[in-house]
Amino acid sequence: MSDPLDIGVLFSRSGGYTLLADEAHAGVMAGIASVNEDPALDVELRAIERDPEGRADAYAARCEDILRNSGARHIFGCTTSWSRKEVIPVLERRGAMLWYTAPYEGFEANDRVVYLHACPNQHLVPLLAYALPRFGRRAFLVGSNYIWGWEVNRLARDIVSDASGEVLGERYLPIGDVDVGRLIAEVRATRPDFVLNNLIGPSSYAFIRAYAALGAGDPDFRAERRPILSCNLTEAELSALDGAGEGHLSVGPYFRDAGAHAPSLGGAICRSSYYAAAFSAVRIFADAVRSIGDASPDAVARCATARRYDTPMGPIAIDPQTQHASLPVRIGQIRGAGFEVLQVSDAPVAPDPYLSRYDPHALVTRPALRVVP
Amino acid sequence: MRQRRRIPNLGGARAVILHRPHPVVAAITRQLAAIGLVFCDVWPELPAEALGADFVFFDADLGFDEQFPWTPGEAPMPLVALIGSEAPGRVEWAMSHRADSHLVKGTVSAGVYSALLIAKRSFEERHRLAREVAALTERIGERQTIVRAVMALARDGIGEAQAYAQLRALAMSWQMTLEAAAGRVVALGAGEGEGRDDRSHRA
Repeated sequence: MSDPLDIGVLFSRSGGYTLLADEAHAGVMAGIASVNEDPALDVELRAIERDPEGRADAYAARCEDILRNSGARHIFGCTTSWSRKEVIPVLERRGAMLWYTAPYEGFEANDRVVYLHACPNQHLVPLLAYALPRFGRRAFLVGSNYIWGWEVNRLARDIVSDASGEVLGERYLPIGDVDVGRLIAEVRATRPDFVLNNLIGPSSYAFIRAYAALGAGDPDFRAERRPILSCNLTEAELSALDGAGEGHLSVGPYFRDAGAHAPSLGGAICRSSYYAAAFSAVRIFADAVRSIGDASPDAVARCATARRYDTPMGPIAIDPQTQHASLPVRIGQIRGAGFEVLQVSDAPVAPDPYLSRYDPHALVTRPALRVVP
Repeated sequence: MRQRRRIPNLGGARAVILHRPHPVVAAITRQLAAIGLVFCDVWPELPAEALGADFVFFDADLGFDEQFPWTPGEAPMPLVALIGSEAPGRVEWAMSHRADSHLVKGTVSAGVYSALLIAKRSFEERHRLAREVAALTERIGERQTIVRAVMALARDGIGEAQAYAQLRALAMSWQMTLEAAAGRVVALGAGEGEGRDDRSHRA
């Protein structure tokens, strides 16, 4: 076996969204362990870790540090879009590749990034297509005050309007702000059919807990009547909700109890979609390196986009034009410590990061999802 | 508050890249494909079919007027200038073609999507303003007609203010602009005037 191959690992282990970052970090580490234990791969990976501590401004410097002071040419990391956009100039300057494993708001297809989690046609569009006919067309939008919240809510406005619905309110909180009283008061006053939650981290947990308290006093605000919909809520964050998330909905390429699909990539039990995507990224990377005997980013991307992979999320492929993954779409409902999958796409859904194939008419008649018995 | 516009869907839009074979073309076409456009690259002349394109990217470095099947500044679609040399003469030439947005060639691993959105919006806005200016110019040209129409209506013994109000009421009931209504009043007035003259002759 040759010398270990360095890969960069760039997640914030402290700061405002550690539950998500820890989850993806654990997935990357499990991926590295499974690659190193796999005799079929003959690749040994060594993690070069840096922690930007939840500060967006620290990402570019930490990324630069990895690329300058190690042999790593591939970075596995970033949770927020803000941090991803901070590291892209460094990646471009140094010809490196980011394997990005969080859901994001789309409208990007950088050739220095491989996108392995959902973009809007794989999260927001199917989630609203599920919810609008079931709960109603009057929406209230909340979000954290940065690009994810702004852009996903902006798309939601277009989609709700395409469905002849109405947006009753749109409110933002600074990242980390847990003062949700005003939001709850406005939701209570407007009585929307559902709340689209694009808050992240502690703001999201505070909102969901306060909404549960509202529902406890007024049955009209229970999850089965007026649910909260999230595009990025996973098992990783349920512990922070103290049971308050019960019955609310989320969407993702994977939920832990998402059926009996047996992952052939290392056989790990994945805890959430963040974990599954991060784990899959490392396995796909190692598979490409073994195949071509080379870790140069462009060659790895060419190889990785020419194959199909059986991953814990299901069979996926990475589109060579956008370097985004085709992914299964699952609608999950919080039940206890996990999610019950209510619907799953018949086949992986091809990525459409610029929504250039978005069809408003397909909103009402979406045949792609089937009910899970 | 300005009304919020929805995000334009560029899926299926057609783009032509007027540039000699070059890595910048590959960098742009990669992004165009990701965004969902249909595209081709041509050099050195834009074929007639380019007239049907939704966007044209053109080389500001080596470009020249004769490449385009239209007068400089009158492209029927949004233009994106591809700028390598920032020499003032070349930038000025690109501006003479009224590029609606631009990309700097050295850094085109991203930026195509925003260039398309900005070009589309600038183009539409420029044409909206041009239409507005044309309409205003026409209305200014019709000032004299309005004066004549008011005078014609005032001839019936009503004051100027009332004559003007009457002209506005006519424009509303005829569902036309004030200027067009004034034109009709003047024309009718001229006809009646001739009639009156005829009658006076007969008397």
